[in-house]
Amino acid sequence: MTSRRGFLAGLLASSLAPTPSWADLGRPAFLTAAKDPDGSYLLAGLSEAGAIQFTCPLPGRGHAAAAHPTRPEAVAFARRPGRFADVIDCRNGTPLARLEPPQGHHFYGHGLFTPDGSRLFTTENDYENGRGRIGIWEVARGYRRIGSFDSGGVGPHDMLLRQSQSGPQLAIANGGIETHPDSGRAKLNLPQMRPNLSLLSLDGQVQEVMELAPELHLNSIRHLAISSQGILGFAMQWQGDPGADLPLLGLYEPGTPPDLLAEGDPRLRNMRGYGGSVAFSPDDLTIGVTSPRGGVVQVMETRSGHIIKEHALRDVCGLATARSGFIASTGLGAIAALTGHTAKQLRHHDLAWDNHLVPLT
Amino acid sequence: MTGPPSYVFWKASDLKHIIFALAIGAAFTPSLVRADIVDEILDDQVLPAMQALAESSEDLAQIAQTICRPGASPLRDAYHQAFDAWVRVSHLRFGPTETNNRAFALAFWPDSRGKTPKTLAKHLRSADPALLTPEGIAQSSIAGRGFYALEFMYFDQNFTSAKPHEYRCALTAAMAQDIAVNTAAIHRDWQDSYADQMRSASGRYQDETEVKQELYKSLNTGLQLLADMRLGRPLGSFDKPRPKRAEAWRSGRSQHHIVLALQSLQPLAIALADGDQDLIARLETAFQKPILRALRLDDPRLAGVADPANRFRLEALQQEVNDLRALIESDLGPSLGVLAGFNSLDGD
Repeated sequence: MTSRRGFLAGLLASSLAPTPSWADLGRPAFLTAAKDPDGSYLLAGLSEAGAIQFTCPLPGRGHAAAAHPTRPEAVAFARRPGRFADVIDCRNGTPLARLEPPQGHHFYGHGLFTPDGSRLFTTENDYENGRGRIGIWEVARGYRRIGSFDSGGVGPHDMLLRQSQSGPQLAIANGGIETHPDSGRAKLNLPQMRPNLSLLSLDGQVQEVMELAPELHLNSIRHLAISSQGILGFAMQWQGDPGADLPLLGLYEPGTPPDLLAEGDPRLRNMRGYGGSVAFSPDDLTIGVTSPRGGVVQVMETRSGHIIKEHALRDVCGLATARSGFIASTGLGAIAALTGHTAKQLRHHDLAWDNHLVPLT
Repeated sequence: MTGPPSYVFWKASDLKHIIFALAIGAAFTPSLVRADIVDEILDDQVLPAMQALAESSEDLAQIAQTICRPGASPLRDAYHQAFDAWVRVSHLRFGPTETNNRAFALAFWPDSRGKTPKTLAKHLRSADPALLTPEGIAQSSIAGRGFYALEFMYFDQNFTSAKPHEYRCALTAAMAQDIAVNTAAIHRDWQDSYADQMRSASGRYQDETEVKQELYKSLNTGLQLLADMRLGRPLGSFDKPRPKRAEAWRSGRSQHHIVLALQSLQPLAIALADGDQDLIARLETAFQKPILRALRLDDPRLAGVADPANRFRLEALQQEVNDLRALIESDLGPSLGVLAGFNSLDGD
């Protein structure tokens, strides 16, 4: 029932702020890509309870998306080696712009907007030079490319915004793996790979670079999460021999050595060497990591690093912070709430949810 | 890093699950929906195999109390029997085997960082009497427990005559006893509650489909372990074969494990085919090829991976196992409502 106050507030909002906003779509909590059983691909907005609030078609399989902070616009990246990304008006699916990286670059599938929504940053592969780049796009001018800078490593994948004392910075997971579109997804540099987590100012100045010990150089740092205190969680993918007993999740507080979680716990093997998505619980006390290969979400205590729960979820990959813990999505269409020691299916959609659940903030 | 693992902590959190599971078990009377496939797999395969594991482990523990000499044949026979029984269930990695990390404590393999010999050497150096008690060993590093650790004590020259002699004897007896305690707990959980939870499928499993999918997943787990670990690790690459990575090569069991694994996965796959005669025939053929090849290898330690003349036979075996996986994924999975993973096969 509409209250008088609500009605008036709505009237005010519509007259004073005619610009489109996420409220037009019911303020979705997450964006995620999916495959429809008919073979087509789409981008969806989900509520905190896992209900679909909108969908719009995608021209091909997506990977992650970036949501504009205020306008109901999303940038949907093609999966790597992605030659384009589409900016979509999520209210009706209208394509607003198509981003194409310069000759010799392709997208890696992740990107983010500055908090004021004026700029978009994209992770890219400068494949002729084997270097990671961050592309900069100006939103107000129809997403025009205005420059790029070095990502601080090879194979930049996930990227987050972090507030530091010196202002906002980009946290970039440089996975370390060199690929070239001519050889598809083949990994060209495993013997030499050196992944890192780089912190860069928004104009591309390297502020910090975190590398793991040399014996972990085959552990590709790929996906990131950030706590309310600015501590970064990083999930890794092991490129060495299967069966090695290795950490796949770490915490990094800039200025201090990284902290690898659950080291020595045999249950890490249940992850099959692959961390898919990572997220903190809302109280920052735990951090979760998914493994589609292992069909498991492991939840670890941030303070002790111990695994406190394993949730079995087939083909799980997407994971995000939710009010009561975590929310996870699977390739079988499930959206599940992970709270404490229980996993509860919130919804089941006849869709295959793709890799990530991107929170809208 | 080899810090002390915090088992007490894990146990405390796992205990809740046990209590919860027991509560569920008591609250539901199995509705006796006849789940033929599930009953058949539980009654003909899982429960007898878990019983055999518990009983042969108990035999091993008994004998290890009285015989210390690693070369003594009654001891070795008992060890082989119990280890065989473990390999036959090593794909059933869900439920009771995962409580308190029981399966890892029985089978810490692969051991890519050599933690098992390091842990055992540390135990022998410290000669800590606490490790000789069931509680003490249960809280010690899993790398020093189970069948693979015991293999070092029985077959590796650095350990078979390690000093102090008395402590070594007592430690191996305690390790065997620990295996018996663990396998008995697994068997008890299966018998007392877990099998019923799979049959009634109204608590832990929401429906019969989920139960079948769990069993199907274990079939895949077993085949993957076989192709990628049991064969893949020693195969390494042509330029860099890794014979010392073969599973249980010290006791000459590597080839045998391949046969055992295939022989226990075959009836599971056949049962899951649920009477589809055409599919069953194809599965039989696809299993027989690698089983016969594995039996004929005459290479107990898989040392042939480093010998170009023999290596191709192991590569062919691995290929046949991978063909089997492909057949199961394409023809058996869909009938159980399991499609190839959208995310699990992709990766990014």
